[in-house]
Formats: sequence, C-alpha cells, structure tokens
Amino acid sequence: MMKNEHTLADPFNEKVEKDLLAHLTSNRRKGRIFVFVLIAIILVGLFAYYRQLRYGLIVTAMRDYTSWGVYIANFVFLVAISLVGSLFSSILKLSKATWSTPLTRISEIIAIAAIMCASIIIIVDMGRPDRFFNVLIHGRIQSPIIWDVIIITTYLTISLLLLYISLIPDLAICRDKVKNVAKWKRWVYKVFSINWHGTPEQYKILHKISFTLSVMVIPVAFAIHTVTSWLFSTTWRPGWDSTNLGPYFVSGALMAGAAVIIVAMYFIRIALNLKEYLNDKLFDHMGKLLVMLSLVYLYFNINEYLGPAFKMVGVEGEHIIELFFGKYAGMYWMVQIFGLILPIVVMIFKWGRRPLPMLVLSFMILLGAWFKRFLIVIPSLQHPYLPIQDVDESYRHYIPTWEEWAITCASFAAVLLIITFLIRLFPVIPIWELKEEKESNSKPNQK
Amino acid sequence: MNNLFKYILFGFMALIFATGDISAQGKKTTRLQVEYYKNHDKMEMLIATLIAKERRYVPLAGAMIRFYSVNDTSKALLEELVTNDEGKVVLKINDNSKIFYDPSGIMTFEVEYGGNSSYKSVQRQISVKRANLDVFFFQKDSIKSIEVNASEIGPDNLITPIQGLHVRFYIKGTFSLLDIGKEKTDQYGNARIDFPVYMPGDTAGVIKIVVKIEDDDDYGTIESRGEINWGIPVKVIKKERRGLGDTDAPLWMVYTLIILLSAVWFHYLYVIYMIIKIKLAR
Amino acid sequence: MKKRKIKQSRRKFFAKTITAAAGAIGGIGLTAHSCKSKSEEHEKVTLLSQDGKLVQVDKAAITPASPAEARKGIPGKHFVMVVDLSRCRNARKCIKACDHHHQLTPDRPYIKVLRMQDNPASSPYWMPKKCFHCDNPPCVKVCPVGATFKRTDGLVLIDNHRCIGCRFCMAACPYSARVFNWGKPKPQKTNHPYSPETSIPSQIGTVEKCDFCPDMLRQNKVPHCISACPNGALYFGDQNSDSVTNGSETVRLSTLLRDKAGYRYLEELGTQPNVYYLPPANRLFPFKDAPEGQSS
Repeated sequence: MMKNEHTLADPFNEKVEKDLLAHLTSNRRKGRIFVFVLIAIILVGLFAYYRQLRYGLIVTAMRDYTSWGVYIANFVFLVAISLVGSLFSSILKLSKATWSTPLTRISEIIAIAAIMCASIIIIVDMGRPDRFFNVLIHGRIQSPIIWDVIIITTYLTISLLLLYISLIPDLAICRDKVKNVAKWKRWVYKVFSINWHGTPEQYKILHKISFTLSVMVIPVAFAIHTVTSWLFSTTWRPGWDSTNLGPYFVSGALMAGAAVIIVAMYFIRIALNLKEYLNDKLFDHMGKLLVMLSLVYLYFNINEYLGPAFKMVGVEGEHIIELFFGKYAGMYWMVQIFGLILPIVVMIFKWGRRPLPMLVLSFMILLGAWFKRFLIVIPSLQHPYLPIQDVDESYRHYIPTWEEWAITCASFAAVLLIITFLIRLFPVIPIWELKEEKESNSKPNQK
Repeated sequence: MNNLFKYILFGFMALIFATGDISAQGKKTTRLQVEYYKNHDKMEMLIATLIAKERRYVPLAGAMIRFYSVNDTSKALLEELVTNDEGKVVLKINDNSKIFYDPSGIMTFEVEYGGNSSYKSVQRQISVKRANLDVFFFQKDSIKSIEVNASEIGPDNLITPIQGLHVRFYIKGTFSLLDIGKEKTDQYGNARIDFPVYMPGDTAGVIKIVVKIEDDDDYGTIESRGEINWGIPVKVIKKERRGLGDTDAPLWMVYTLIILLSAVWFHYLYVIYMIIKIKLAR
Repeated sequence: MKKRKIKQSRRKFFAKTITAAAGAIGGIGLTAHSCKSKSEEHEKVTLLSQDGKLVQVDKAAITPASPAEARKGIPGKHFVMVVDLSRCRNARKCIKACDHHHQLTPDRPYIKVLRMQDNPASSPYWMPKKCFHCDNPPCVKVCPVGATFKRTDGLVLIDNHRCIGCRFCMAACPYSARVFNWGKPKPQKTNHPYSPETSIPSQIGTVEKCDFCPDMLRQNKVPHCISACPNGALYFGDQNSDSVTNGSETVRLSTLLRDKAGYRYLEELGTQPNVYYLPPANRLFPFKDAPEGQSS
C-alpha cells in the first residue's frame, strides 16, 4: 500500500531522505535543555504579563507622551522578520534562484513563528485586552489598526498555506519512512499527508497552487509591512510623518529577514548536522543577497534622514538633533555603523561571507534592526509640537522596566520555541524539492 | 431639610446645656440681598439671596425668609419661604391683595431672616414703582432698529412715560446675553438702537432680543423680550456623512477593501479546494 | 410636631417655587434645586430655565447622557472656545476647577498651562491648553473601534467603555491633549452611571481628555474652567450664534477674532481646531515665571 513510486531506489534520494529525516527521530539532551530554557523565559514573561494585567500598563515605563514603547518596537521588528517567508518562497523562487531551495521551509517556519508572536505582542500592548473583540464588533475600517488586523490575519493564513502545501510530499515521506516516533506525530504525518502518493496529477496540482500562492504572497507581504509603517506615517509625529516610510520599512524588513535566515542556517546546520546541505556555498549566496538588501535599505535610510536633516524644520529638526547628537546619538550611530555599514563593507569581500563572520554580522544586523525600531518609535513620541511641561520626571524619559524586557524576551523565546517545535516535527529542508531539482539538473544538461 | 431640623434641635439642646458662653458675638454675620424683578411675561417677583460669613461668604440654604409689605403704619406678612442650595428664594407678587401702596404708587417690602443660634438675623427694605417695558421692531429701507417704550404704572393704572431711563439691549445666546447697546429713554419713554448687521439667528433666522432696565433705584429690574427673523439663518449640517472620522467608512474604502480582500481570500479558498482535490486524486 | 411643621413648610415652599416665577431670572439663570426625600422615586428637581420656564423633573431625567445618546450632540450648536493669551497669568484656577469637577489627580490634568516662547526675541507667555475638539480630528480618524467620536455640536468625546487602550489616538494627536489611565484610577465619587459626557468614573487602561463639560452645556452652563478663570481669559460659546462669554462679559465671536487677530494653534496641520487663541499682545499682567517645581 505504502509505495513511493516516484523515488524508488535512487542512491541520491535515499541519502537525502536518510540525512534529512534523521533529526525527527533523534532526541538529544542539548535540545531538551534548549527547550527548557525557552519555556523558563516564557514563564518569566507570563509572570510579567500577569503583573501588567493586574496593575495595568503602569508597570511599564510608558506614560503620556511616550505612549508607545518596546512592545510596539518589538511588534514592528517581528513583523519585519516575518517578511522573510515571502522572500524565499516567492521572490527567489519565481526568479529561479535554485540555490535558495533548501532555505524555503526554514524561512516559512520563521515567518509563521514571527507573525504569530507579533499578533500576541500587539495584544500585550493593549490597555484593555479583555475588549479585544470590540475590534470585531465596532471595527472601523478607516483605522490603520484595523488594516493591520486584517492584513496580519491574511498574511498568517497565506504563510500557513505556503508552509503546508510545500510540506505535503514530505509529510508523505515521513508517513512512509519515519516509524520510530511518538504516536501523535505519526498521526500528524498520516492525516496531513492527505493521501499523497506523488502521482503526476497530484504533482501537477501541487505545482499549480504553489505557483499561485508564490505570486499572491508578494503583495500580501508588502502590504503587511507597509500597513505597519502606516500606523506611524498617518500621524504628524516627527520621524513618522514621511512618505518614505513604507518602502523604508519593507527594505529594512527584507534585510533583517535575510539576517535571521543566516543565523538560523548556522545553528540548524550544527544542531541537525546538515553541513552538507546548508553548505558554505549557500552562506556565500546569502552573503551576496544580504549585501544587496542592505544596500537597498541604506538607500532608503539616507533618503529618510537627508531631507529633514537638510531642512531642520521645527520639531522634525529637534528630532534629528536628538538622534544625531542628543540622548539617542549613541544608539543611533551604533545601529547605523554596526548594524548596517560595517556588515555591508565586510560582506562585500569573499572572506566575509564564510559562515562564522556571517553569523556575527547577521547578529549585528538583527540587533541593529531591533534598536532601529526602538529609535523609530520612541524618540518621535518624545518630541511633540507642544513642550512637555508640568509632568513627573518619569514622563520625560523612557527606560523600559523589567516587565517590558521580560515580555519582549518571552516573545523571542516563543518565536524560537515555535521554530524548534516545527523543525522537530517536519523535515527542515524540503526533500521533494531537492529531488526534483536534482532530476531537472541531471536531465537536460548533464556535465 | 431634615438636616435643618437636626440643626435646630442641636441648637436648642445647646442653648439648654450651654453655660451662657454662646451669645450674639459667637454668631456668624449674614447678608441679605433683595431684588425686584419683572420678567418678560410681566410676572413680578422678589428675589432674596441670603449669604453667611463662614471663612468667606457662602449661600445659606434651608433658611426661613419672611416677606412683608409695609407702609407708614402697618406691616403685613406676605409669605414665609425657605432658601434653596444657592441661598435664594423667589416670591411671586403679582395681584397680591395684601400689598400696600403709597399715594404715588410705591410699594415697600421688608424682607427678614430671623437668624438662629449660629447665624445673626438680618433684614432689608426695598421700594419700587411699577413700570412696563415693551419692545417694537422697525424697518425702514435697509435700516432695522429696535425700539423700547418704558412707562410707569401709577395709582389707578395711570400710564406715564418715563424719561431718562437707561435701557440695555441684548441678544439671547446659549450661555449668556450678548450686549448690543444701551440707550436713554426720551420724553416719550422711547429708546431706539440700530439692529446689528450680519447677526446669525437660528435655522429660520429668528433672533431673540432681550431688553432690560437693570437694578434701577425706582423700578428695580424689568425685562422684556421680542423675537424677529432678521438674523442670518444658520445652516445645520445634518447629513449623515461617511468620512475617515465617521462611524461609517467612505464607500470607496468599503468597496476597495472588499475587492482586495475577496481577490486574496478567493485564492486561499481555491488553494484549499485544490488541496482537497489532491486528496481525492488517484 | 416640629418635624411635621418643617415638612409642611417644605411642601409649601416647593408649591410656591413652582407656581411662582415662571420666568427667566437674569442673575439666577438656571437653578437646580434638589429636594431630598426618603424614597428615590420621589426625588424631584426643580429647574428654573433660562427660557422662562420653571419645571420639576425626575432626578433620573438629568442623569448624564448614556454612551449611545452622548454620540449625538446637542442639536443646532457648534461649541467653540477662545483663549485670550494677553489675560493669562498662570493662575491655574482652570486646572483646579477641571481637576475638581472631573475628580482628577494633579499629576494628570486635562488642562495644561504651558510656558511658551515663540522666538528668542519675544517675551514668553502662558498658554492654557485643553483638547482642541478639532473638526478634522486625527484621533477620531485613527480609532479602531470608534471609542472616540466627533459629534454634530463639534465636541470630540471618548467612550471609555469601548476604548481598547491601543493609544493610537495619543500618538495621532499633535497637541498631546490626551491622558491615559496607566494604572488603576483613584476612586471617584459619583451617583450616576458612566457617561462620555462626564468622563466619570475613569477606567484603567483607557484614554481620557478634556470633554468641554457637556453635562454643563446641556444645562446651558459654560464649562467649569471658563467660570473659574479669575482674569476672564477663557471664552466659551456657540459658533452658530456668534457669541462667546467668559462668565462676566459676552462678545461677538467674529468681532473678537477679527479685532484681536485670533488664530488657531498649528493651523497648517489642517485639524481645524475649535479653540482659538488671541495673541499675547497688550498684556494685562507682566510675565512672571512660575516658581520651581510648581505643579498645581
């Protein structure tokens, strides 16, 4: 009954299956410790959130004036990260960059994890999470927040569909080959592989819908981050009141997304022993891609600051001075130099595109990306048109409290936990796509 | 009012048990202000306001105020009334047969607060002559004017014009009266001002004019009113709007959203349908 | 014995008040006088209205408007405020009256009196600032649930039973008019249910701001800050009838704005505020800086 006609007795296929399915049955101690640590961080975050629910947002450092804080910065960051799904399963795929095939599933998994946590973090930011359903009952579609709610749902759905349809053939392989796992996992493989036998008709449908979704995901992904940028650019705040904000956010997101993939690649290839598949050549490719995306982001970055810095109009000028020379200058220049310019310079050289330097640079880019979101959200709010007077000292500054950091860390831990769970459950590299590629490569022009 | 009873009772008990220290010097000073007011319905009233000196002067509520009509020889009690939260009482005096008139038609009232254990007593006298104030509107070519006639009502309802009386003209607003001028009456008791140009009215252009003699030594406060449609009608936009700031979204936005979302979600449904087809494929 | 007598006199008093004085009393205006009796249903309030009518109504009838009613606005009105900057000397009575009426704590008032200086050469001045109740309100446009709304009479109010606490309106308001209940609000005393027209009681995790005291406006009375100002710096009125009052004097809005060069703060943002400012020229008081650490 369970025969896989398509891949019968091919040494390459057998090796691929063996390598890529190996981690599904292994259960190493290091992995368990990792999960344990993640859960511990999440529990601390949950306790912090319990305190926030009990005492209100007063436990945060947010006050009138700085009315949005790290939650919103983190939300923007997580939405940015989630854009990576579209980059790999759509843009690179449609442009026939076959080297990226092993990364599609990782990117889709990261996208789903990030977007799920982004939607959780936005609820955490609400003063009255108990009234969340007012958004459905009284929702006004004129509000950019409602656009965001709609687009997040839409993007999460398409990400799940993308992940799932590319999983179907692999789930069938798991169903047929992976026996030594928990009963519920085998149940998952059986049910979700929906009677896949790799018949030409099934492949035909699969390719068709995979193409449809690849095209569809581009506007949806661009929309999600553009709408997020509109949360800011529909106001008059200095630094937000900009027509550049949409492409600026999207380009920044793609850069951060590529950096996340590099970090993920590095750890997955060690943890799951996949050096052969996530090889140095792939890092080199990713390095070039990251340089390209960073240059685009650099362009929008210059575009974002040059105009206001040249004109120095009112509060916009104050905001620029604050960023360039003031309270936030240290953070600003660290972000611009170590999170953007330095990585570009280093990765232009071939030696800079080896795995370890790439890991370090990607970390720097990610840190830079996170703090860049912080710099977009917080200093803008501290420069209103009317002076801040007659307020408690705490209203003038914003230094996040432990509760905010705990919840932020918990959101990262949750992202990692979701990623870890999905990687443990499914082959992290699409087996069937590798096989297909190999076939199509070997058939027409064999060297 | 129950509190008043309590206070009286406490005061009474205090009087019984006190050793005599409580005397007039421990009582708080009170002040009584009395105003004669005739409104636009020709309703006459006496308004008395009682205030007492605590740290500063505050209205004294729940106090009994007695109104008398007096002449050289007699004094008749008209009414006893209790002050409200603002320390005020209002007594209607139209057609009160107990009121005495002197030969020239002057009425004299005495208003009295009897005091109690903690507040001093106080009394006040006020004399007024009855008068009438009437509003007329004139329009000659483009000039619009408001005219007032003031006349005294003597004994036997003898009407005589009042000369040299200060009359104030107002337009009635939501919160207050807008002063549009003042004028002295001439020998015929007439005073006239020009109507202000470009004055908004209500939706029909109607403006309420209020004319007043204010706190006159002889005639007290007399008010009269008139309505005229000389104002510019105010356009009240009542249309239900669909804008960015309204409850309902603009239609183009609704349609755009529906088209975009249905385009995307239709594809999702299509994909799900195809997934089912994969399951059913052989 | 004595008690009965008083009760009788009370009844008499009310009977008199009702039949008497069916007219507007200039100085008194509208007088609310509540008669407290033992059973709630008999609680009646005598109102002497400006329109020359003396009416007795159930106390329930003057409870503040429900959240649904409060969305409609008072028909035919369009409320405006004018702030004469030449008359403000930072007395802060408006803040006190507002804090008292809305039962706010001094650390988060609805009104601020800001020390402003337009350029280094010109003298500083005090600028009382409330919500501008814009006709093109950024806060209303961004609210995802319609918790803040624009009424036909020009007011922008908040329904804190609907607010989800996203604080988008705070980010959108260019005038920083809004305050948030970051923690549990101080307990407030009220006999009435919540109304957007009174903003009482406050709720944790929701936004608040100056509401122009619609509960007062419904009684044809000006907001508390207006009557509290000792210098007559604050005018309030109905734009439709072109008259504004500062409590003691009433003037034509158009004349005032024309003669004193009235302007709206940050007109260029296109928010169309309903609060006008008169420039701080020919001042009533020389500018004196507030003592250090003054907060109330």
